[in-house]
Amino acid sequence: MIHKEMFLSVLRTSEVLFVFPKASPKSLCHFPKHIKTRTRSYHSSRPQSTNTKPVATGIRKMGSIQKPKVLLIGSITHAKEEWDALKDVADPIVVKSTNRSDFLAEAKSGAFDGVVTAFRSFTSMSITGQFDSEILSSIPTLRFLCQNGAGYDPINISDCTSAGVQVCNVPIIADDATSDTAIFLMLGALRMFNPCMATLRTGEFKGPAFKLGHDPRGKVLGILGMGGIGREVARKAGVFGMKVQYYNRKKLSEEMSGGATYVGFDELLGTSDVLSLNLPLNANTRHIISTAEFAKMKQDVVIVNTARGPVMDEAALVESLESGKVRSAGLDVYEEEPKIHPGLIKNPNVILLPHVGTLTYETQKAMEVFTIENVRRAVEEGRLNGLVPEQAHLAKS
Amino acid sequence: MRHPRPQILFFNPVRHALRKYQELASVAQVEVISSTNRLEFFKDLEKKYKDITAIYSKFDAELIQKLPASLKFICHNGAGYDAIDIQACTARGITVTNAPDPVTNATADLTLFLLLGAIRQLNPSLGSLRKGAFKTGVDFGHDPQGKILGIIGMGRIGRAVKRRAEPFGLKTIYHNRNQLTEAEAAGAPYVSFHELLTKSDIISLHVPLNSQTRYMIGADEIAKMKDSVVIVNTARGAIIDEAAMAAALDSGKIASVGLDVYENEPEINKTLMGNERALLIPHLGTHTTETLAAMESLAMENARRGCFGESLLTVVTEQQEGKSL
Repeated sequence: MIHKEMFLSVLRTSEVLFVFPKASPKSLCHFPKHIKTRTRSYHSSRPQSTNTKPVATGIRKMGSIQKPKVLLIGSITHAKEEWDALKDVADPIVVKSTNRSDFLAEAKSGAFDGVVTAFRSFTSMSITGQFDSEILSSIPTLRFLCQNGAGYDPINISDCTSAGVQVCNVPIIADDATSDTAIFLMLGALRMFNPCMATLRTGEFKGPAFKLGHDPRGKVLGILGMGGIGREVARKAGVFGMKVQYYNRKKLSEEMSGGATYVGFDELLGTSDVLSLNLPLNANTRHIISTAEFAKMKQDVVIVNTARGPVMDEAALVESLESGKVRSAGLDVYEEEPKIHPGLIKNPNVILLPHVGTLTYETQKAMEVFTIENVRRAVEEGRLNGLVPEQAHLAKS
Repeated sequence: MRHPRPQILFFNPVRHALRKYQELASVAQVEVISSTNRLEFFKDLEKKYKDITAIYSKFDAELIQKLPASLKFICHNGAGYDAIDIQACTARGITVTNAPDPVTNATADLTLFLLLGAIRQLNPSLGSLRKGAFKTGVDFGHDPQGKILGIIGMGRIGRAVKRRAEPFGLKTIYHNRNQLTEAEAAGAPYVSFHELLTKSDIISLHVPLNSQTRYMIGADEIAKMKDSVVIVNTARGAIIDEAAMAAALDSGKIASVGLDVYENEPEINKTLMGNERALLIPHLGTHTTETLAAMESLAMENARRGCFGESLLTVVTEQQEGKSL
């Protein structure tokens, strides 16, 4: 990366200056940005992408400038104005296909030729399936993939890196809504509200299904995965009088962890009254909670999962609920959404939400706006704000 | 003839604070009521229960008249005592205690569950999942961050709710019989009832039920509220005109409600029951093993103190010092 001072010194000493039309001036002056959210500012520890490949700039053709193409995979629900505003710098193309084979055919037909940046919406899984090397090969000009979500497990990051595609997701913005959902599920499960909520609507007030619940006060909450969402769950749980401990890939500073205790994985399992799963789904975390782990947990443990279904072996959870080892569970995600293990459906002790962790007007709009800003940044500056951690090595300093 | 140990009559057996019950049984004669109906009880009051000193209970006003002269204390195993005619007790020289503190945390926790469930509009999705539709047709909810929470009744529970609301980014305003000190209010602005109604995105009720608070929220008050307001009630059902609330929920004036209490428990207004934007819990405000044990212990401790002439812990407000007994 050329620093501003170097560029100026070259200017002063050169007799002939070659200007490369593809180098955008902004990329020569790279300053780190702070990611700001609606509620608090955050010093970005995320890698900032570099302009490693030239951005397709305007090409004079028949007296008009063709704008760079950006691809919308899925849909925009709330930030339609912001998406439309991209037209002043880009030419947006919407994927018409509704399944993978049609998508590949549409790509082959040339519909996505020249696309450098793509916006991938949460619902686009049904269109492309896993975003892997086959999909990537169908759009060879792609350089930037902007995922509209905190989770990005449907994207094969190593395939993207091999193909020279940088990926960003949406950090921080989803933290509040997801942690609020976790707290709702935790209270619902601990307090055992589900049996009576069901019978109330059939006309029986408390009914025979009624079971006493437990107070969160004084209970130990174990958080698996102390990223932005895990830390928010910890912060909110504190006000209910819970003691918080966590397991994370690495220990956090006192300030970051908010005073929560760092423990080993087995200790987390063995000493938590409530276990909240807040880790990303990847090859290392699939079924991280399974039969062996349930065996290590406390009797009457309560499980909360707002992360991804496959981090937990759903059949093993059902067995543990039926044996009574797990007293109750609060779930927002499932191994094979929208399919849910029938053992969960028929268990009255579980409170089940259909993956609505961030389903609010405010959060959905903020996520779309953030992602659209990244699309614009990719077009105008040839870089993204907040690469996924697996691509940290692609960022400079 | 006086019994050597004071006699305490239990209307409900103790289920959770068993150790405390055993301790009490070593200093007093404890008995669980055996009368199987009201008339039989009235007869028993003249015979085997004629020397009772304290009752650990939940019961109604007519009974008070039938109680023997020896009865000096009614130790209510709950925070709300709207079912006890305090004036009648006072007239008969009977002191009533309740159990306010143990219920605070459990009720405030439930309030947050209902508040989150209502503002996030989660009840419809709980239902659609169980019907096999996953989240098809489910609407977006709202985040609590930045919304205004209006607390009506800033007693122990109201203040506990405010503390819990903070990390969710809610801005709390409150209305109360009297303005609290800065410290007690913990920074929440004191507003008039009218201002609270018009400014709040979420309204949560935490007042006791009495002649002043009955139907304090009716059609007129709802009309003053913001469009798409969210209402949470963990206090007493009769504070709200349930039919008016149901109609406003149907019209969409109220976006969602989170309720633990109802005007005529265990009956619930049919319109309300039929609306999926109503998150409904059947009065489970304090139904945890820990809180029930704490409530039982407190009621028993008051009964023990009353029997042995020690000062009571939690006499009801209306009978406290400065008021005539």
